[in-house]
Amino acid sequence: MSGPPPSEVLEAAVTDRRILVVGGSGGVGKTTTAAALALRAALSGRRVLVCTIDPSRRLATSLGLAKLPGKPRELDLGRLRTRRTGSLWAMMLDTKRTFDSLVERYAGDEDARRRILQNTFYRQVSAALAGSHEYMAMEKLLDLSQDDRFDLVVLDTPPTRHALDFLEAPERMLGFLDTSVLRWFLKPYFVAGRLTLKIATRTGAMVFKLADRYLGLQFLQDLSEFFLAFEGMYDGFKERAGRVHALLRDPSSGFVLVSSPARPALEEALFFFRRLGEKEMPFVSFVVNRVHSEPAASRGAFGPAPDLDPDFVARLVEVHRDYHALARIERRHVARLEVDSGRTAILVPEFEADVHDLRGLRAVGDAIFNGEPRRPGPAEETHAVRTGPVRKDAVRTTT
Amino acid sequence: MIVDRLLSHRLVFLSGKGGVGKSTVGAALAVTASRRGKRVLLVEVEAPIEAARILGKAPVGERETEVRPNLFTVNLSPQAVMDEYVRLTVKVDLLARKILQSPVYHRFFAAAPGLPELMVLGKIMSLEEAKDGWSRRPRYDLIVVDAPATGHGLAFLKVPFAASQAIPVGPIGTNARRMIALLRDTRRTALGIVAIPEEMAVVEAIEFHRMMTQDVGMKPAAVFLNACHEARFTSAQETEVLRLAKAGRGGRLARGVPLGEALAAARRHIRRRKLTRFYEARLRKAIPAPTVPLPYLFREALDADSLETLARRLEAS
Repeated sequence: MSGPPPSEVLEAAVTDRRILVVGGSGGVGKTTTAAALALRAALSGRRVLVCTIDPSRRLATSLGLAKLPGKPRELDLGRLRTRRTGSLWAMMLDTKRTFDSLVERYAGDEDARRRILQNTFYRQVSAALAGSHEYMAMEKLLDLSQDDRFDLVVLDTPPTRHALDFLEAPERMLGFLDTSVLRWFLKPYFVAGRLTLKIATRTGAMVFKLADRYLGLQFLQDLSEFFLAFEGMYDGFKERAGRVHALLRDPSSGFVLVSSPARPALEEALFFFRRLGEKEMPFVSFVVNRVHSEPAASRGAFGPAPDLDPDFVARLVEVHRDYHALARIERRHVARLEVDSGRTAILVPEFEADVHDLRGLRAVGDAIFNGEPRRPGPAEETHAVRTGPVRKDAVRTTT
Repeated sequence: MIVDRLLSHRLVFLSGKGGVGKSTVGAALAVTASRRGKRVLLVEVEAPIEAARILGKAPVGERETEVRPNLFTVNLSPQAVMDEYVRLTVKVDLLARKILQSPVYHRFFAAAPGLPELMVLGKIMSLEEAKDGWSRRPRYDLIVVDAPATGHGLAFLKVPFAASQAIPVGPIGTNARRMIALLRDTRRTALGIVAIPEEMAVVEAIEFHRMMTQDVGMKPAAVFLNACHEARFTSAQETEVLRLAKAGRGGRLARGVPLGEALAAARRHIRRRKLTRFYEARLRKAIPAPTVPLPYLFREALDADSLETLARRLEAS
């Protein structure tokens, strides 16, 4: 674990890169981190768009909006604005709308476009197809990366059960839409319009018979219409997916992996990190949110404490013990991530208050970038009385 | 009381945002029920480590495995369930193998909307109906399902509804309708929502409740609020903590416990406690089901002790 401190690496990424993808498992503060990074970049003079998929009102509120719009909208930075401030834009990804516009882009003609958009199967799956959220997020990213209103696009990835789904989504979607594979068992039927089949292989016939028996005629009809309509668009989709892939591997892009200090989330971050390596996609840094710092003393630890009620003292000692234990546990989990990945993680302390406005977001950014001083490792972290000067408590919001 | 009522069902689904401790609550519920002499199966979906880890066993795979007396766990992978289904349906071994190897099958399965969920639900339904031995006794008295996290695409429990509309005829349609009947059967099936006292988790729980009651017709039987910070100080003591912290007095309370550090920890605790109360009130207001608060455990990982603590809490609720 050598090289520049991770907060400097991240700072450089926020200053230079054109795309930052913020990944991680659900519930680890991904959206807030994405917004804080975007705000940071905007305050340093860049024109930034943060694109989120999180429908929660809270982020919209913290950005000063009642609701996040489906198209980029510039935010009023109000009192945070200085002379060097760039601009901050926000939008919420609308999977369905993105899918529709993709269809509109690639449909050969008006008729093909209508056939798809009105197809029952399409209407049901365009928002629900496995990986469609992720795929559409990437699709949108490609679009936005070409929008010259923005120097930087920060993408908050969908809250998947497995963060990795995000990287695999295009392959899965394309696998599904690959009509050259599906055609041979669907098309003969619907072109002929009846059930007498001349299917090339016995297995094919069997798969088809099963599908017919288990899925029913109407469904198969919708399905085949869907695929027939998609036939002409597949190449366009595929070409675009290839470009998304290239974009994500470009050195001007970068991945920020967010986690909480809990073991499952950290393991997920590590898996994600490794997959990025395999796919040769640029990793920027780990951000571990809500880390309990050691309770910091406001004064020296010597001398007798004031005369307090014994019951009160007992409770204080217990709380102290528990929070110390928690800090130690978290430190150990994070240490494992750092050893296994060979990277130092940025630790962000748990905040005193919920983030509910732009100033709160800026404070999150400060906490990420000013970098909490590294605390002693588990070995040194005992209950022994400290000899050195007591460090100031970690940066935290007190708004 | 609340738990008695919950455990009187045959099938309990636990749902909630990822990371709120569904597996933990599921394991504690399963332990509680097995202690009451029920044969319990804890079902997880594509979560290779959680329940087994919590129950102190090596990871459990596709087979139902007894990890404690009367307590079985199984970890379902949609792909494996689907493969099993194909094998059962096709019957001819060679043909089944060919289908399972065919690229069409794999590609279709990988992305077909709702198909994995439908398969897993079907498997759960068959486990619920499974009977063993001569007496045709139900194999399990209770099945606890740690449902996949909410908030991604088509929600797990909504899938049969979508399926019955999209594929009204044939065995899939029939099965989907049977699943709907099972989900809505309040004697057999109960829904538990799991949350933690944090904004996102609570918002999602409330949203999930709205969706389940409106779209699916399932009312939750209980809400488990996990990781609650419980009161440790009287309100007079809380005031005292704040006063002392402000005064900035030094000194030591005990060996290795500087007063300042203890006060910082106490302030953090008090803030967490306030948030816990705030979110608990919000949940109670939004979801008309009994709420069961479970304590935050200061542990590295869920161990036997923690599970014991939670099981005792459930017993008492």
